[in-house]
Amino acid sequence: MVRDETLTAVVAESLTKRFGSVLAVDDLSFTLPSGTITGFLGPNGAGKTTTLRMLLGLASPTSGTALVLGRPYAELERPALSIGAMLEATDFHPGRSGRDHLRTLSRAVDLPDSRADEVLRTVELEAAGRRRVKGYSLGMRQRLGLAGALLGDPELLILDEPANGLDPEGVRWLRDFLRAFASEGRTVLVSSHVLSEVAQTVDQVLIINRGRLVVESSLQALTSRVGGAVRVRTPQPDRLQDALRREHLDADREEQTLHVRGADTDRVGEIAFTAGLPLHELASEGSSLEEIFLELTSEASA
Amino acid sequence: MIAQLRAELLKVRSTRTTFGLVIGMVGLTLVIVILSGVLTHPDGLSSKKDQLGLLSPGGVALIFSSLAGVLLVTSEYRYGTIHPTFVFTPKRATVLSAKLTAGLLAGIVFGVISIGLAVGIGSLILSARNIPSALSGSDISLLVLGGLAGIALRGAFGVGFGAIVRNQVGAMIGILAWDFVINGLLFGLAPSVGRFMPTTAANALMGLKTTHLLSPAAGGAVLVGWTALLALAGLVLTQRRDVT
Repeated sequence: MVRDETLTAVVAESLTKRFGSVLAVDDLSFTLPSGTITGFLGPNGAGKTTTLRMLLGLASPTSGTALVLGRPYAELERPALSIGAMLEATDFHPGRSGRDHLRTLSRAVDLPDSRADEVLRTVELEAAGRRRVKGYSLGMRQRLGLAGALLGDPELLILDEPANGLDPEGVRWLRDFLRAFASEGRTVLVSSHVLSEVAQTVDQVLIINRGRLVVESSLQALTSRVGGAVRVRTPQPDRLQDALRREHLDADREEQTLHVRGADTDRVGEIAFTAGLPLHELASEGSSLEEIFLELTSEASA
Repeated sequence: MIAQLRAELLKVRSTRTTFGLVIGMVGLTLVIVILSGVLTHPDGLSSKKDQLGLLSPGGVALIFSSLAGVLLVTSEYRYGTIHPTFVFTPKRATVLSAKLTAGLLAGIVFGVISIGLAVGIGSLILSARNIPSALSGSDISLLVLGGLAGIALRGAFGVGFGAIVRNQVGAMIGILAWDFVINGLLFGLAPSVGRFMPTTAANALMGLKTTHLLSPAAGGAVLVGWTALLALAGLVLTQRRDVT
């Protein structure tokens, strides 16, 4: 299949969902370019799942629009052949085997039953395929959900918290899988309430809090943009602090060590050089992504 | 629609739920037919009305067929499989139409089993007790065909009811309360109204001779009307409501 790289896979425009007096999703706008992996992040209750449900036509927006592959989801013909989705890892009948679960879905879109066995192999679940789902671990259920999303060989994957309940090995497996999937020019939207789960997987992040978009940026830009600090040690901390201040940079002082916020090591090194100050240590001490994430989401709620 | 129907029929067959309902129906039907056939005094089994009552699959099959229909919808909401179902088939009318058809087909299976049991064992008991049959061939035909139609319709009826209520326990209790309490009370206290209730209409369709029942044709029409009403309401609500 030829995949159009220039296509926008998902467009949300002023998407809003109100439940009674609660604004679950508040004027949310974003676009997902094809061929990227986007992390959709926010604390629990931020409105991620509600947004995904609106994208998939399960819930209708109070106002605004959501377009998937150029059209509202409900207007797509056999959307499962171009879009794969996994909402909750609990969306199975416990008394039905994993294989039968997949076959109920493949039959609905006229795919052969053999497709169910293929995706079971893809997610490495073929040995358990004929067992009832009630005997599956959470990790196995996540993989079965992913298998269901893959049935139609989609070009866009929408996954809600797929790493939830996976052990570290499972998280790594998922990461490799999504990387391989996106390397074929396909698009992934993956939600999580834990940034570090997806940090090594995603190209860009959408962070929402209380239904509002807080950040839409590449992961790289996010890492350098917020919270990152530079640790610099010099025998003349007073003079360095003055030099930094002239460049409008704040620094916390701890004896001979300064912690500079809002700059990278290149910049601090140049400032020190220009001021003719010797440095004994220069290192970036970016706060962890998780700290950035918490900072962003609590800032917006303050 | 054919593809969705194949999917729905696989859903019915791939869990033990439907099988469990069939077992329950068979057990109850056997108990009722055998107990009433063996224990009733021969005088109470001589008339056409009595014999039709003995041989009819009665309320048991109607209830179990409705429950099978209810579960076809509500188990999807209960276990969340409604999400992938609607993601794969966003045209919800297609899903519900397929479920209504599957409910009808499941109802036919329930009907064949329960009518076969009730008519077969009931007749055996009558002949074993040397009670002469008061039933003509057309009485039996109406009982079998009307019964099948009624039980099948009640499968679709259950699908519509389940699509309106969505909550599994609520819908099951609702169906039981409607049949046993509302239908029973109304027919007992105000038969002129109660005979338009779905179960009494189904009994009329089978040609039972209980007093105050509608004619078989009218009973059939009333049951079709109830089923269409619930199916339509279920369809409208299913398309309108968010899936959480």
